[in-house]
Amino acid sequence: MTDPAIVQDLIRILFAVIIVTAAYIISTRNLISLVSAYALQSLTLVVMALALYWLEGAAILLAIAAVTFVSKVLIIPYFITTVQERIRIRRDIRFHFLSPVTSLLLSMILMLFIYLALSRIMEGTPAEKSLFFFGAVIGLSLMLMGMMVTFSRKRAITKVLGYLSMENGVLLFGMFVTELPFIIEFLIVIDLIILVMLTTILAVGLDSTLEDYHNRLHRFHLVGDTEEAP
Amino acid sequence: MILAAIVLIALAAIGIVSVSRTHRQMNAACIGEAFLVLCLSLFLLLSGQVPTSSFIIGNQYFFIDHLGIYEVMIAAVIFLLSAVYARGYVEGLIESRELGKGSLKLFYAAWAFLLLMVVLAFFSDNLALFWIFAELTTVVSAMLVAILYARDNIDAAIKYIFIASVAMLFSFVGLIFLFELSRSALGTGTLNWTVLIREAPAFSPGMMVAVFAFVFVGFAAKSGIFPFHTWLPEAHARAPSAVSAILSGVLLNVGIYGIIRIFAIVHRTPAVDAVAPLLILFGLFTVAIAAISMLPQKNLKKLVAFSSIENMGVLLVGLALATPLAIFWTVFYVMAHSFTKASLFLSAGILHRQYHSTLSSDAADEIRDVFSLQPLAAWGVIIGGLAIIGMPLFPIFLPKFFILTQLAQVSIPVLVLLLALLFVAAAALGYFVIANFPKRYRETELDDVVVYKTPASMKAPVVILLVLIVILGTVFTAGEVSFFDQIVKELMF
Repeated sequence: MTDPAIVQDLIRILFAVIIVTAAYIISTRNLISLVSAYALQSLTLVVMALALYWLEGAAILLAIAAVTFVSKVLIIPYFITTVQERIRIRRDIRFHFLSPVTSLLLSMILMLFIYLALSRIMEGTPAEKSLFFFGAVIGLSLMLMGMMVTFSRKRAITKVLGYLSMENGVLLFGMFVTELPFIIEFLIVIDLIILVMLTTILAVGLDSTLEDYHNRLHRFHLVGDTEEAP
Repeated sequence: MILAAIVLIALAAIGIVSVSRTHRQMNAACIGEAFLVLCLSLFLLLSGQVPTSSFIIGNQYFFIDHLGIYEVMIAAVIFLLSAVYARGYVEGLIESRELGKGSLKLFYAAWAFLLLMVVLAFFSDNLALFWIFAELTTVVSAMLVAILYARDNIDAAIKYIFIASVAMLFSFVGLIFLFELSRSALGTGTLNWTVLIREAPAFSPGMMVAVFAFVFVGFAAKSGIFPFHTWLPEAHARAPSAVSAILSGVLLNVGIYGIIRIFAIVHRTPAVDAVAPLLILFGLFTVAIAAISMLPQKNLKKLVAFSSIENMGVLLVGLALATPLAIFWTVFYVMAHSFTKASLFLSAGILHRQYHSTLSSDAADEIRDVFSLQPLAAWGVIIGGLAIIGMPLFPIFLPKFFILTQLAQVSIPVLVLLLALLFVAAAALGYFVIANFPKRYRETELDDVVVYKTPASMKAPVVILLVLIVILGTVFTAGEVSFFDQIVKELMF
């Protein structure tokens, strides 16, 4: 067995990786690397769950790692990339209220705020061990950074990635704060997949003309073949 | 057993939809599903098996209590009537090319699936499970909003999904907190509501406030509470009217139901002193924003949608008062609002078919000669409007009256403010009817007017709902009283 101290250091490094991917998702304009950044972020979560398993030995962490890997590293990024190729959008250059630089500054302030707030809430509880406390802080920060992406980008497909990154934050938070029953985690993933599929398909609708849209739905075999042209 | 039966019924309905070739068959499957769910829940209630948690042996995730079955019955009635209504309404949508024939299957499959999700949500004991089903209702109902051939609809659906889902993630963080809270208080963590409410007094009040704040954000967004209400008017106004009735009459209840459950837990801890004033504040803001937005509204469906927001605000105030009497009437209010709002949306749908296109967008309605063209819908809007503002003889009157009298014991200025806002909302509805309904076509235009022959399947649900609300408003049996008393008791207020 490896020394727990090394594993803890590893987890600290992974925290840094997660923050970097989140910052990248906030600031990049390139849609394809956006998806890769998301896949990388999810992979980091998988590794982190494995590292935690090493520390704690709870079998549920293994299950979480497996489900996360299959759904968030493989299925969802693959699906989004396929859709992106079909609608031929490479860049999302429009930002709503916030420019990338302001978003980054804002997320730093948010992190500080969460740190202060959490240290007040968790004062005196057993969860105030440094590693788990940091996990909670990073999780919540990731969530709020994802939310900024969702509300500051214009294209629906970028919003989806923001939402997904938020969800990663919740998973991270959950992993460090407590152990939820596995069935719950599993159902959440199902919910996530349905949501992603629906919103990306709708995004296709927003980013193309409506007739095109319905033709494309044909190609995804979502609509029956009896359809008449509108 | 009952739950398994409901799941089977829903799956059967989806199966029938997927193999059937005609619109009528799909529609019949959805009507049948809602009818069977209604029958099953009535059977469950009358056979005295409620509350129960043993219908699937060894399952700690689901349970049925009076509040749950009450919400399921409301949902089943509205789904049933809307499905009947959809028969004629969807036919019209296809004729006017607003809905593709190919999308029909998706529409009805989503419809049948939505009812299943709603029922499972109301029967969930585990709050995380409830969260998942509530989240799925958002996604599925957004699909129903986006199904029409219009960019506006997709826009509204996307806005709906993102605002509601993002807010719901905050709820989940709250639930994680709650789980940890229960673990530190009880030794083993649980999210089962029945356990949580029993053990609530042992929870630390400081953390409880944080839990409530997080959870509230999500369910407030789902039920259209200020400041998370912005998706609601568009989604409700753009959806096909049969769907609008469900969105307003059933899905808003899912959000309020979540708030009721979590507030019941908070109410057993000292944290309630910090939370209740906050709820009243949010309720007041919600009513205020809705009432003010209603005044300049020239689109009937949007007006009705804002009125839903207003009513959710009143519900929040009623809940925050937290006396047994206030809770009793708040719970009754939920049903009264659902039926009344469904009748309004269904009537508005008939007007939509008559005066076409202009009603579904932001454009002002062009209602002319409404009493001679669509007398039923006109009276539906008038009677429904009188009911929704809380006139005597209608079911919203008593709940509003008792909530306001309870509020008077807390603070007179707040009561006055709320009354004034309610008056503004009522005036907005009244103004719309007075300004639009007497309008007539000019002689020269009369030749171009095509009368929409409202099918009986669209008229019947409106009539049934109107009769239902008059009965609910005038008759109050001892059985009803004990039923609602039971709900209040189970919520431990």
